[in-house]
Amino acid sequence: MRLELREITKQFPGVLANDRISISADRGKVLGLLGENGAGKTTLMNILSGLYRPDSGEILIDGQARTFTDPADAIKAGIGMVHQHFMLVPVFDVVASVALGAEPVKGFLGTFDRASARKRVVELSTQYGLDVDPGARIEDLPVGVRQRVEILKALYRKSDILVLDEPSAVLTPGETEELFEIIRGLAAGGTTVIFITHKLNEVLEVADTITVLRRGRVAGTVLPRETTRAELANLMVGRDVELTVSRAPAKPREVVLDLVDLAVRDDRGGLAVRGINLQVHAGEIVAVAGVQGNGQTELVEAITGLRRVDSGSLTVGGEVVQNATPRHVSDMGVAHIPEDRSRDGLIANMTVAENYILDSYHRSPYSSGVRLNRKAIAEEASKGVREFDIRTPSVETHVGALSGGNQQKVIVAREFSRPVKLVVAAQPTRGLDVGSIEYIHRRIIEQRDAGAAILIVSTELDEVLALGDRVAVMYAGQIVGVLSSEQATKEAVGMLMGGVH
Amino acid sequence: MTAATALVTSPAPRISAAQQRAERMARVRGIIFAVIGIAAFSIASGSMGSEVTFRFWIQEQGGAAWEIHTAAGLLWILAGVTTGVGGLHQLWKGASVSWRRWMALALPFWIAAIIGTLLAGKPAVMTNLFGGSLEYAFPIAMGAFAAMICERSGMLNIAIEGKFLLGACVASIAASVTGLVFVGPVVAIIVGVGVGWLMAWMAIRHRVDQIIAGTVVNFGALGLTNFVYLRILQLNTDINTPPTVEAIKVPLLSEIPVLGPVFFSGTPYLYIALVTMVVLTYMLFKTRWGLRLRASGEYPNAAGTVGVDVIKIRYRAMMLAGAIAGFAGSYLSLHSAGSFQMNMSAGKGFIAMAAMIFGGWNPIGAFGAALVFGFSDATQTLLSSLGVDVPPQILTSVPYLVTIVVVAGLVGRVRGPAMAGVPYEQG
Repeated sequence: MRLELREITKQFPGVLANDRISISADRGKVLGLLGENGAGKTTLMNILSGLYRPDSGEILIDGQARTFTDPADAIKAGIGMVHQHFMLVPVFDVVASVALGAEPVKGFLGTFDRASARKRVVELSTQYGLDVDPGARIEDLPVGVRQRVEILKALYRKSDILVLDEPSAVLTPGETEELFEIIRGLAAGGTTVIFITHKLNEVLEVADTITVLRRGRVAGTVLPRETTRAELANLMVGRDVELTVSRAPAKPREVVLDLVDLAVRDDRGGLAVRGINLQVHAGEIVAVAGVQGNGQTELVEAITGLRRVDSGSLTVGGEVVQNATPRHVSDMGVAHIPEDRSRDGLIANMTVAENYILDSYHRSPYSSGVRLNRKAIAEEASKGVREFDIRTPSVETHVGALSGGNQQKVIVAREFSRPVKLVVAAQPTRGLDVGSIEYIHRRIIEQRDAGAAILIVSTELDEVLALGDRVAVMYAGQIVGVLSSEQATKEAVGMLMGGVH
Repeated sequence: MTAATALVTSPAPRISAAQQRAERMARVRGIIFAVIGIAAFSIASGSMGSEVTFRFWIQEQGGAAWEIHTAAGLLWILAGVTTGVGGLHQLWKGASVSWRRWMALALPFWIAAIIGTLLAGKPAVMTNLFGGSLEYAFPIAMGAFAAMICERSGMLNIAIEGKFLLGACVASIAASVTGLVFVGPVVAIIVGVGVGWLMAWMAIRHRVDQIIAGTVVNFGALGLTNFVYLRILQLNTDINTPPTVEAIKVPLLSEIPVLGPVFFSGTPYLYIALVTMVVLTYMLFKTRWGLRLRASGEYPNAAGTVGVDVIKIRYRAMMLAGAIAGFAGSYLSLHSAGSFQMNMSAGKGFIAMAAMIFGGWNPIGAFGAALVFGFSDATQTLLSSLGVDVPPQILTSVPYLVTIVVVAGLVGRVRGPAMAGVPYEQG
């Protein structure tokens, strides 16, 4: 079916999330919707799936105007959503997850007819080549398979229009390729696919047309064969961007971070890090690649003192730091850029200045005795704001009011404002716009050149390749390979990320 | 270091710190069990002479009886052997041995030995003990079902206690005024539904914290029913003397020797609890309603995005739970007591929540857990009615002690519905 959105406008308090957005996708075609976080992609999709109602504008399916008052309406109209965060009940099996909301029933009690639901699931999965075990529990499935379940969910409801929101965020490069195959297959079968992403390469590879959103508006619609990465980046950000920050070859010196047989447990008590040996030298960047959930989070938490080490040893500059307190680790000159900045990096309801001194408020000049020295705090924070180009009305603004890029700059400014021996940066550019990514990367390389040892953990292959002087690939809690920057190609790292070696 | 390619795959460490801790704990537990086992023997040597009688009525109360005679010492020896062997097994094999299974084996002997010793020669009427366990289990099981329905839908309902009290109070008044016993439970159900709706409205519409909403209802119900009792019921005793719910003998089944008097001569409440257990199990795990209810409690967004109305499900769950809890409340005043008394639920609503957790958020498990609590209540009644040489304050605290032991010690790692108590926000 042909889908068209005309002049969709949605206003939230203080933000015009969608400003007269018009897009269209023909039957059997793939529309790539490209935009940065905050460009209005998610709002637009929530409107399309019936979760929000637009202030003005209309949704047309095969030329007919439709209004959706709730998600059930959108599903009835043939729109199937695959959300970025999977909408699957972890303790349900595949059959129940797919059928939920559209269950076949029998009898006066409304008994769930599992057998016939299972039959449909099996039929659909063979028809579209979506290989899943219908009896498996969702929480036991790898994310790639969960995504197939999500797609099955849409097909089960006979959706002709499939919307995929950032579908590759959690996939390995191999799984992403498989996903693209599935998308091409669905499109060839007559399904209209809308593919939402912020990754330039992906839209170029899979989309028939690309619409770029910027700050709630359509910045342009282009055809993949008539455009370039640079042009798309320009449309997304509104200026020219250096996509890969240039850097001089590394000059590694002494070992700073030394991990020997390190083992760490996750919250549920299972081994998340299973005996890792890794050294990071002063003056080099080691990038840890891997799909989310292979122990990277636990590794970073162990290094920064946030999680107990189960066995093995962990030293920074020769000093044993396993199970040291976070403050002790930070006092040794370890800078930490956490994976989830809103949870572990910043306190949204505190000001820029307060966040700026979170790791050193207890020291002179910020405090004397029990009193905080407000004047010194404001002065130092203003210096940081200037130096790191943080766009904020003042240092007294709440950090939560800033954009993601500027929030991340506050963290970087705080962590780099003291002498740094080791930088541990987890997903340092997650969810940031191309311009901010460029800036953060440059700052990290500066720290390296100033002699710090740098450990980057990232699930973005582009980032790993752009920054890593060496690339270590983590899979199932172990380091399955360490590659030099010459050896680290997309293919080589991608294979290791999928556990093939 | 040169840029070397090394496929470094280091093996996982063989024994981790957590495993070592578990092993150490297992050995300590083994030693403690073994010592307790030996202690039981020393008690046994002193009580070989004292006789214990367990009596079962074959057909009816006071009629022909079937009795088991044994020496208290023998029971102590059995308790000691099972505990001691379990301890040695644990000590020998370490953490791989399930100590809970050994405890399940040893516990009945301990209970029999303790009861036998306390009774000092008087016969223990097991028919009353088991029948009483079932009766006492009723409000706890029903309360657990009510709380379970709410939690499965994603609502935290700690106000079972309050609904018990309100149900008991209105049931007594309604049955007394009309003179018809069945009016009591009906009115109690209506009040329960109302309170359930009120809580849902506070928690969903106004986002009141669900613990606070539950606490408000609990204390509100306590204050209100105390007031009604002191100011109205005490002055007009005729509206607090309801007809009571009588026991029904199930035809044929109640004729079965020994088992009949225990299982098939109870009040309708008992049978309703059993039917509720079966129906609820089926509804939760086999029907569309159950699937959607569980999805709302585990991951409401998954349900919401496929067009399931999570809010409606949660309202209905709270009202259904209110009906069940209110009905269970009517038992308190219409069953044995024969009138409403101040704070007569005495914490049973909270014990019901413990039963829900112990039973793993599952109706059959919850009923089993309720039986454990019912048994401790029946034991306490048996011992105090025979006037054993133990201060009554300690006896009445037995059910609560059992609750603490069960929740703190026996419930291992259980996982309830993931999103219970978290408000649902669409989009």
